[in-house]
Amino acid sequence: MSVSEHEPPVSDQVPASWSGWVRERAVRALPPEKLLPDDQPTYVASWIYVFGVLTLSSLGVIILSGTILALKGPSWWHFTGIGHFFNSIHLWSVELFFFVMVIHLWGKYFMAAWRGGRKAVWITGAITFLVAIPCALTGYVSQQNFDSQWISTQAKDAMNASGIGSFFNLLNFGQMYSYHILLLPAAVVAIVLGHILLVRKHGVVPPFELPSTKAAASSDGATAEKQEVVS
Amino acid sequence: MAAIFNLNHHASYVHWHFLDLSVSNLVVIVLMVIVFWAAILIPFPKHGMGSKS
Repeated sequence: MSVSEHEPPVSDQVPASWSGWVRERAVRALPPEKLLPDDQPTYVASWIYVFGVLTLSSLGVIILSGTILALKGPSWWHFTGIGHFFNSIHLWSVELFFFVMVIHLWGKYFMAAWRGGRKAVWITGAITFLVAIPCALTGYVSQQNFDSQWISTQAKDAMNASGIGSFFNLLNFGQMYSYHILLLPAAVVAIVLGHILLVRKHGVVPPFELPSTKAAASSDGATAEKQEVVS
Repeated sequence: MAAIFNLNHHASYVHWHFLDLSVSNLVVIVLMVIVFWAAILIPFPKHGMGSKS
């Protein structure tokens, strides 16, 4: 143990254990300077690049306020002032989450963020959006009030009409609540973690080059591909 | 919010060809478009950024 502490984390030798194999693969894919960079390319200095981290911040507030709601229970969030407050924090952080996530999505769509081998980054982002929708909708039916009763009775007809209602029952509070506070949030957090690690691995997508800068770059002998590798 | 906006009535909807949107949803969409363009057009403060590219 004391010997391995002084060895470099990545070696050419085949590791003897599965944990060593995983560590070597992980460090190779994401060396520390890529995993936690202390600077970013200059093109990141735009407000449109802020919406990814705003989405993450909103998700943090959602999880924190949701954890407090889960600890205290429905009578607390319905019948006490502080419970109402945390209920509202939870609702508005979800509103903010979708608001900034959609702007993040628009920004990345219009700069074709799947360029430069970033296909998986785009796909994990899109899947996060799709999984976050039922995660939020199961919250509406987990409120334990007339509003949730109305929504679940209406929504179950839609689910049954599409045929998917045979897999779950929107009138089953226990099922919807466990979907809302465990299964779907766990899926969202897992996919978001994968999304962030992929962004760290591939780097933030550069904007499209303007025709004038492209011409200047090619006259200097630099190609667009070269610039993408550098950034 | 209930003191500012009277919520004790049916939601208002905008009908336009195949589009059928509640006014509240339309307001949120318009706000998102405004924030999107603001994020592109408003210059970002320069201090504290790296110069990697």
